[in-house]
Amino acid sequence: MDRGLLAIAGGVSRPQVEAEAAARNNGLSDAEVMLRVKAGDEPAFEYLVQKYRRPMVSFMYRMAHNSAAAEDLAQEVFLRVYRSRGSYEASAKFSTWLYRIATNLAVNYARDTRHERPESTVSLDAPDENTGLTMDPADESLTAEEMLVRRERMAAIRQRVQALPERQRLAVVMHKYQQMDYRQIAEVLKLSESATKSLLFRAYETLREQLQKFV
Amino acid sequence: MTCNEIRELMPDLAAGLNPVTPEVKQHLNSCAECAGKLEAFRQTMALLDQWQAPEPSPYFDVRLHARLREEMAKPASIWLRWVRKPALGVALAVLMVVGITLFERGGIVPPSKPGPMADVEPGTAVGDLQALDKNHELYSDFDVLDDLEVQHDVTANP
Repeated sequence: MDRGLLAIAGGVSRPQVEAEAAARNNGLSDAEVMLRVKAGDEPAFEYLVQKYRRPMVSFMYRMAHNSAAAEDLAQEVFLRVYRSRGSYEASAKFSTWLYRIATNLAVNYARDTRHERPESTVSLDAPDENTGLTMDPADESLTAEEMLVRRERMAAIRQRVQALPERQRLAVVMHKYQQMDYRQIAEVLKLSESATKSLLFRAYETLREQLQKFV
Repeated sequence: MTCNEIRELMPDLAAGLNPVTPEVKQHLNSCAECAGKLEAFRQTMALLDQWQAPEPSPYFDVRLHARLREEMAKPASIWLRWVRKPALGVALAVLMVVGITLFERGGIVPPSKPGPMADVEPGTAVGDLQALDKNHELYSDFDVLDDLEVQHDVTANP
């Protein structure tokens, strides 16, 4: 029933499962693969998970500003996709549907944690409490002063992006960091393409003004 | 090409997602403001590039697959199971139709809830007894008040 997922749990390496899933779904669009998941092809879902796990974690990281929360949210996206498989219609691109789910989750998370975020934001140097990994490993070639400047610059970028109005923030993260085009962003945000272009222009203009001293 | 058209393209041009076409180049050569803004946008984009996201942790897949297995192990809801079995689904639908038909023809009369003192005339023995029963708690509180002794030495505003 769940060979792809059980294979990973059972010790078969991820690249191996990934390669098998990719070979099986070779030539199919993501929407077609999702239709196979809908029809009961569980291993096809593993292909989609492997394809989108990194983009989802990175999207959620920039929306949640916390790597542990980002991973939880990304997992929740895949769970929701899996739960909704029965009602999936290939009327839009699979990735548009995926990002719409991710966007809803990210927005709800941001609203729920609005008051606790300053305390829960992880330091760039602090290792993640779950994974032990550091987000921004110290570069030994930099002097202490350069490190300080770099840290300040990174904090400023995060703060300025975070301070953008919700839709602008989502649009910037999708455009700049997920390399999505205007049309797809417009579909995810349910805006016209022209409104999306203007939203992005305003967002970058704000960032340009506020980050000027770091350029 | 107008300045407004260039503005719309600017995020993509600055991010390198769209090539600079000859038309855009021509406009930029003749409009210092747009050329300056595009350059500033490019610098901002380069700055934003420095904000790197971490790779998924080694535990990401393990956790995700555990959650997915849990999800798969969950039994489908009772309603969904009924709907998925055609014979049971049809039987349920028939029962609902029969029920609604009977209800509409008056075959099944739902028990009417008596409203507060709806069908009892005040002043009659039955009415008084029901009123006493309903207001039992209130009368009990009155009894407690009666038991209280009046303290004469207490003033409202000492």
